[in-house]
Amino acid sequence: MVNEREHPARRRLASYLRLLGAFGRFSLNRELAFRGNFLMKVLLEVVWLGILLLFFHTIFRNTSRIEGWNEYQYLFFLGCYYALEGLIETLFLENCIEFGELVRTGNLDFFLLKPIDEQFLLSFRHIDWSTAPKVFIGGALMGVSLWELGEPIGLLKAFCFVVTLGSGIAMAYSFLLILASTAIWMVRNQSLMELWWLFSSLMRYPRDIYEEPWAVLIQKVFTFLLPALLVVSVPAEAMVRVLEPGIIVWTILAGMMMLVISRWVFRKSIRFYRSASS
Amino acid sequence: MSAGPLPVSAGPGLMGSLKKYLRIFRVSLVERLAYRADFLLGTVLRFLPMVTSVLLWSAVYRGSGRDTIEGYTCREVIAYLLLVHVSRMFSSMPGLAAGIARDIRDGTVKRYLVQPLDLQAHLLAYRAAHKFAYILTSALPYAGLFFFMSSYFDWPAEPWIWAAWLTSLLLGFLMGFLMEFALGLLGFWFLEISSFLYLINTVSFFLSGHLMPLDLFGERMAMVLKELPFQYLAYFPASVILGRETPETVIKGLLVELGWCLAFFIAGRVALRMGLKRFSAFGG
Repeated sequence: MVNEREHPARRRLASYLRLLGAFGRFSLNRELAFRGNFLMKVLLEVVWLGILLLFFHTIFRNTSRIEGWNEYQYLFFLGCYYALEGLIETLFLENCIEFGELVRTGNLDFFLLKPIDEQFLLSFRHIDWSTAPKVFIGGALMGVSLWELGEPIGLLKAFCFVVTLGSGIAMAYSFLLILASTAIWMVRNQSLMELWWLFSSLMRYPRDIYEEPWAVLIQKVFTFLLPALLVVSVPAEAMVRVLEPGIIVWTILAGMMMLVISRWVFRKSIRFYRSASS
Repeated sequence: MSAGPLPVSAGPGLMGSLKKYLRIFRVSLVERLAYRADFLLGTVLRFLPMVTSVLLWSAVYRGSGRDTIEGYTCREVIAYLLLVHVSRMFSSMPGLAAGIARDIRDGTVKRYLVQPLDLQAHLLAYRAAHKFAYILTSALPYAGLFFFMSSYFDWPAEPWIWAAWLTSLLLGFLMGFLMEFALGLLGFWFLEISSFLYLINTVSFFLSGHLMPLDLFGERMAMVLKELPFQYLAYFPASVILGRETPETVIKGLLVELGWCLAFFIAGRVALRMGLKRFSAFGG
């Protein structure tokens, strides 16, 4: 009877996890009510993968290396990107898109009144199960490339990969949240999905391609200021290329910092929010 | 009726009808400019994929140690990828089909049954205004970009190529509109088509040559892709201004494009007529 009182933080965590489970179940139920649409969305992801692989295949028919990445190293990168994209889409993208809509319609009021952290509620409300298979397909691509590369995977490598991938996910989420929060200041008229797609193009290719003289500044900005270039590159490098302690440490730090910054921006934007109702 | 002039007195005849749609054009233009901060953010972000693709292809050519791939030099591929954005600037119709399908589903479309407006003409005027505002506001950043990247371009000197380019861009706008319009009308028959539309968009990203020049997929595949209408949305205009087309292929291309426009126009008119017949709106 004492321990219940003694750990309010743990109880809070448990209730948040329970809520997350409920969100997941509810979203799955809703998704399965429209099975045709669900299958269509999964098909769409498969088509998109096909396009990515075709692009990849066309390029590597003509060259054996891209800035030091050989075919299977690059395939690993691609799998990593695809899995990360899938995870972001499953958990956050739909929620962030709806956030803009809630601001526009004024329905955000109802969410601010709920006795729960607004960021949690608005970030996890819907789980888009139709993009979840991407995580496994991306994982499979990574598995195939590791198999083809045939190099042993050390414990240190695996550890660095997992940790930097975690930071990468944290950064990607933070960027998405910041982008969604700007909807409060600028009345949004474009789809966040498109803006996110444009922004995430920074994560789609290895960061080594920025080593051209005119692109060095871009590389610096998106490594140190808005560290989008690290999101997929660093975990993939750690696994299939070299371990660079400096950049790994920076990625971990940047991941944590971006989480803090994005939360700050989000709260700031909420404070700026004026309901749309009369 | 002498009691005051009607606000929008769209008189009979061609002039009145033209005036009506010009007014829609003006209102849509004003609406568009209300979102300028967001618009600016979008414009800035729109440059990122261009930068990354320039870098990627430079890296590919450096890695391959070759000067040309399927007849394209590195400079040409990069110029192509930038020019494709100009093509898409004209031909892309974000949300058009989905908007029509939504209007059909929630019944908004019934106003075209009562008001003296034609759905297709109204949307065309609306889209033309948005494109006009978009092209106007992006002209400056694009000019800057092309100036900055001028080492990648060999602009053709022949005026006919420029004329053909402009024609292909305008036709690209028209075809993009008519195609999306016809697709949106599928909403009369199917309740939920947003995923289907998304699929078409994704496929079109690849089929239109937005991803890379169609020729790079290999000769046989390129031949098939060039038989489809999608290439006019991105590949064809870019290929024209790059000077890769002969006068014969340009004329043939433009004629075929016009044919596709006509086909999509007819498909849209027929579908609209058939759809409105089976359409039943609820509520008042």
